Amino acid sequence: MNRVKLVRAAATIYFVLFLIFVTWPGFVPFNRPLPLVLGLPFNMAAIALWVGFGAVVLFVLDRSEERNRAGRPGQDARDGGAG
Amino acid sequence: MERWHLIAGLILVYLAVTLGIGLAAGRRASRSVTGYVAGDRRFGLLVMYFVTGATVFSAFAFLGGPGWAYSRGAAAFYILSYGALGIAPWYFIGPRTAALGRRFGYVTQAQLLVGRFPSRFLSALMAALSVAAFVPYITLQMRGAGIVIEAVTDGHVPLAAGAAIAYGIVALYVLASGVAAVGWTNTFQGIFMVAIAWSLGIYLPFRLYGGVGEMFGRILAERPEMLSVPGLTAAGDPWSWGGYSSAILVSAIGLMMWPHLFMKAFTARDDRTLRRTVVLFPTFQLFLIPVFLIGFAGVLLPDSPTDADFILPFLILRSELPVLVVGLFCAGALSASMSTGDALLHAAASVTVEDGVGPFRRLSDAAQRRLMRILVLVVGVVAYWFALDEDSSLVVLLLSAYGIICQFAPPICAALFWRRATTPGIVAGLVAGSATAVFFFTTGYLGMELRPLDLHEGVLGLMVHIPVLVGVSLATRPQDRNHTDAFLNPRGSPETGESGGGTPGSERIAPDTQRG
Repeated sequence: MNRVKLVRAAATIYFVLFLIFVTWPGFVPFNRPLPLVLGLPFNMAAIALWVGFGAVVLFVLDRSEERNRAGRPGQDARDGGAG
Repeated sequence: MERWHLIAGLILVYLAVTLGIGLAAGRRASRSVTGYVAGDRRFGLLVMYFVTGATVFSAFAFLGGPGWAYSRGAAAFYILSYGALGIAPWYFIGPRTAALGRRFGYVTQAQLLVGRFPSRFLSALMAALSVAAFVPYITLQMRGAGIVIEAVTDGHVPLAAGAAIAYGIVALYVLASGVAAVGWTNTFQGIFMVAIAWSLGIYLPFRLYGGVGEMFGRILAERPEMLSVPGLTAAGDPWSWGGYSSAILVSAIGLMMWPHLFMKAFTARDDRTLRRTVVLFPTFQLFLIPVFLIGFAGVLLPDSPTDADFILPFLILRSELPVLVVGLFCAGALSASMSTGDALLHAAASVTVEDGVGPFRRLSDAAQRRLMRILVLVVGVVAYWFALDEDSSLVVLLLSAYGIICQFAPPICAALFWRRATTPGIVAGLVAGSATAVFFFTTGYLGMELRPLDLHEGVLGLMVHIPVLVGVSLATRPQDRNHTDAFLNPRGSPETGESGGGTPGSERIAPDTQRG
């Protein structure tokens, strides 16, 4: 598996885990108010962390896809993406 | 001069600026239908980012968000959870959708679907389901605008008049400028909303409790049930995990499938812009944190507003903030309502013309634009009529709307990614899924609670939808490979002169078939 596919798979896995860990039963272990994180209840901060880190994952995915496109001459920025 | 006069004056200034931006934007767009619906496909990153964010963050987030945190506690965390989940798949779906739009001239979601699965019935069904989902959503935005104006003007401007003024302005600029107006006003309103939410979200806990941590410490001591997921129901009983989890799932899928988001993808200047919007989207999502803080700030107050959705204006007025801040807040909440409402009005009219009328009757460009403008007014009036009704069942209708919208997910995914899907499979799946969602909604509405595990009817619909789609597709004749190639591998766009997978033949098939 090449690098691009690896990053794609990792991003997909991240968001699947995200879904599992913010819904039942994955969220149950994180579902407590203490300790407060930056003043926020622990469970709310945990969800915010998934969201914030999600942005980072998408950013890394985007870098990887960009590099991949740049490395394939003839594919311009309007190409239809990969799936 | 009384205090509310000043506030009303500030709001008028704000509305005038919005209208000015909206009308000015229209002068740059061309007069074609593509110009009206898809903004000539030339939105840049800044505009796309705020269009997406402001469209998704509606009066529900700005008023309903604090309202939920205030009355239902941790149940509100579901709103924080679903946005990033719903938008992430757009990284791949968005550019693919946009590429197909450019190639075949699609401007709506249903055209894309019908392009792959030619069927006029499917087109009309999509249009009907979309509009059925749009109307209650627009109604909610209108009520939001009305609530804000009524609250801060001390009841001098009643809900009905407030909603009429705000949406009169929305109708004006949408009629005049189409999607270009929606883009530029949303950029303005989006920036406004973020600034207001963060400043109030930090200010109120400090003012009332001396800090964010102090506030949660006290809530934990006095109302610990508020800080434990899945929180409470509207009635104050503990909410179920099934209800909470399926709300996340349905909202994430629904968010991804809103027809107006697809129309936004068709307006993007290039794929780069679309992808960046997706990457930046979770940053917009985090703006719900201050919104929740505002709601939690009200939890321990001795007196309460008549309706949880009034908590934000209630707190603002209690804290005796300067008139300028109250006026700005009001404008922020109005922009949340209007920036979603305008996009929805525009989308509802476009979808009706393009998908409901277009496949059955050919209209000239000018006639289409005229019809869309009439429909903007018609949909606006219908939604306004519902907004005047005090009946709380609207929220129930909205939840059902999400149940219907998320039924678009399997056909769209099949159109873009599954070669073996067939037209009969798609139609059968959509009919079965929607019927299931409507069945559980109706029985619940009539007082019979038949939903297993308290699951959202949208999820139950999908459980029927997907097997039917797959089963019927496999049982019917596969589509022509040239045809499916054009959708599964859309890179061979005529503009770049490449043929990444589609053959010249496939390009001729799809434009013909999209009209059914």
